[in-house]
Amino acid sequence: MRQGLSSGMTLADARARSPDLATAPHDPVADARVLEQLAGAMIAFTPLVALDAPDGLLLDVTGCAHLFGGEEALVRRVVKEVGPTTRHALAPHSAAARALARFGGKDDVRTLPVAALELDEGALSGLRRAGLETLGDLAARPMAGLAARFGELAVSRLRAILGETGSPVIPVRLTEPIRLETRFPEPLGRTDDALEVVEDMLTQAARTMGQRQLGGRRWAVTLHRSDNQRRRLVVETGLAVRDPAAVMRLLRERIDTLSDPLDPGFGFDAITLAVLHADHLPSRQILLESGKEENADNVSALVDQLSVRLGEDSVRRLIPRDRHLPEKAQALVPALRLRGAAWPKPEDMPPRPLLLLDPPQPVEVIAGVPDSPPQRFRWKGRLHDVILAEGPERIGAEWWLKRGGHMPGAAGETRDYYRIEDGAGRRYWIFRHGLFSEKPDPRWYLHGLFP
Amino acid sequence: MSRPQAPACIEDPPPGTLPRLARAQLHEVHASAADWASALAFAFGMVEADRARPVLLLRPRRKGAGFVPCGEGLRALGVDPARLVIVDARNDAALLRAGLDAARSSGPAAVLMESWGAMREYDLVASRRLILAAEGSLIPVVILRGDAEPRSSAAHTRWTVSSTPSTPLEMRAPGAATLLVELVRRRGGPAGQRWRLEWNEDHGGFRELPLDTRPSTEERGPPLPGTVVPLSAVRTRAPLRRTA
Repeated sequence: MRQGLSSGMTLADARARSPDLATAPHDPVADARVLEQLAGAMIAFTPLVALDAPDGLLLDVTGCAHLFGGEEALVRRVVKEVGPTTRHALAPHSAAARALARFGGKDDVRTLPVAALELDEGALSGLRRAGLETLGDLAARPMAGLAARFGELAVSRLRAILGETGSPVIPVRLTEPIRLETRFPEPLGRTDDALEVVEDMLTQAARTMGQRQLGGRRWAVTLHRSDNQRRRLVVETGLAVRDPAAVMRLLRERIDTLSDPLDPGFGFDAITLAVLHADHLPSRQILLESGKEENADNVSALVDQLSVRLGEDSVRRLIPRDRHLPEKAQALVPALRLRGAAWPKPEDMPPRPLLLLDPPQPVEVIAGVPDSPPQRFRWKGRLHDVILAEGPERIGAEWWLKRGGHMPGAAGETRDYYRIEDGAGRRYWIFRHGLFSEKPDPRWYLHGLFP
Repeated sequence: MSRPQAPACIEDPPPGTLPRLARAQLHEVHASAADWASALAFAFGMVEADRARPVLLLRPRRKGAGFVPCGEGLRALGVDPARLVIVDARNDAALLRAGLDAARSSGPAAVLMESWGAMREYDLVASRRLILAAEGSLIPVVILRGDAEPRSSAAHTRWTVSSTPSTPLEMRAPGAATLLVELVRRRGGPAGQRWRLEWNEDHGGFRELPLDTRPSTEERGPPLPGTVVPLSAVRTRAPLRRTA
């Protein structure tokens, strides 16, 4: 506001007034999610929390303030929890609190501007023309006249803010997380018995989740020992599952990979199972003809198992990237995290090798200037004669990634790629790193092998 | 009356045809590191696999520079790069264990395992387990052995693959991928044949070429102009002495 920015301004205007403005695209879905998370956090202060979309929360703190040492202290703690950019207000009625927080009055609602009624432009300008600037002015007038002139909505909202009619809070009902606990009258001595109990709990959880059409993606099993030591096992899956056998398999994998094995000590007192992250998972439909379920791409269970055992960075898939340097045109990402990456339909692209060398290997090359293909090259001490060659395929440097890369000569080295075949019949992908016009003595590298 | 000849089984291909890397079987492919792209291309191209399901490629950790499959290159062999799942194992034992689990699951279309050097853990027992897994899930399992001596195993077929000169395209450009493959061993069938295979893009498969009509040096032409004349042409009777 200080710099002259106001909501509704175009980005160009805003940037013109304040060149160092940090911007981000509007993401209403993410905003809604953050608001829900905040609502969940506010449960610590009161059980009645309501969303005031798109960017507000209503907390009914009747009877809760004394637990935090008074209303002032409560407000301070809430603001501390939510963050510094909040506007807050306390009032006897929720509509009043809302109006005060949004339109910045002091404690008295009568000093609020008429914009607090959130009517449309026509009604608001009508109110202003009539000389009614604050809610106090409106409150002094008879309601019937206001209703006739400015509509029922204005009057009902005014009444709500003034407290003459109620404005109930509809609390957010947060879904209960799925959590099961089993306590043993006598400590359980063997790990295998404990795992059987876990399997039973998984079956119970599967029933609950089936009713709620949920599947778990992150599961945590905590084993409480009688000497108060706790051991926590967490497994993750790529797709939501509720099948107890699948989760047991992953838990056993996790136990196998533990650096120090599970030691019951004097026995386990309790075991808890919690589903930390659940996704919607509809009930599977069994095909009538085959009786088996479809598994078009059913390596997800295998990917889960191997990711638990070897680490999620060891089980990866290829995704295409929109870069034209060959080593950057694709990336390997953990298969557990990837939902699906479609490779685009091939347009006419120059041939690419089957294997890329990572990193490209330097080779010594004899070639004619300025852009003839190599005639001989030496790799790993062996000399190869080049019999057939195709190229060059010129791939420029990514000048837009370098500071000042648009200036001539500062872009980085252009690569000239050649597909060559040597006397033994092996086909290679070699490039010269830099044109002879860019560098006096460009190096050559072997970047790939063709079949 | 002479006994009628037992009719030849209709399913058996006539001897001499190139067998594919069939389902429910274990196949070994031997190649050197320099021919690794050819070995992989052979595995991808000849394996009998469902075209829609994913392919698992398991690799061990290798010191130094490594090979990374290139998505566009895979597509040139008719394999959708999105189908590939690449698993990196810490050592050979972990590789075999992961390969066994992969072979036992029903999801993948094929399981390819790369290995380098003498894999001590890959013995008769390990290969038998892989075969049982493959037979249970009906998927082909191919183990690519790089720079390795063949060791006795229960595999159904053992191949040696190497690159071989291609038929040049116009303007002296290298031609399509051309491989020389030899069926070293086959369980329950003739072995010892060799084939020269060329990748055919239009049909998306390997095409057999006659073995004897390799492009000769004359057809491929001399080395590109400008090279140094080979030393043998100027060698005199006395061996060349290194100066300094």
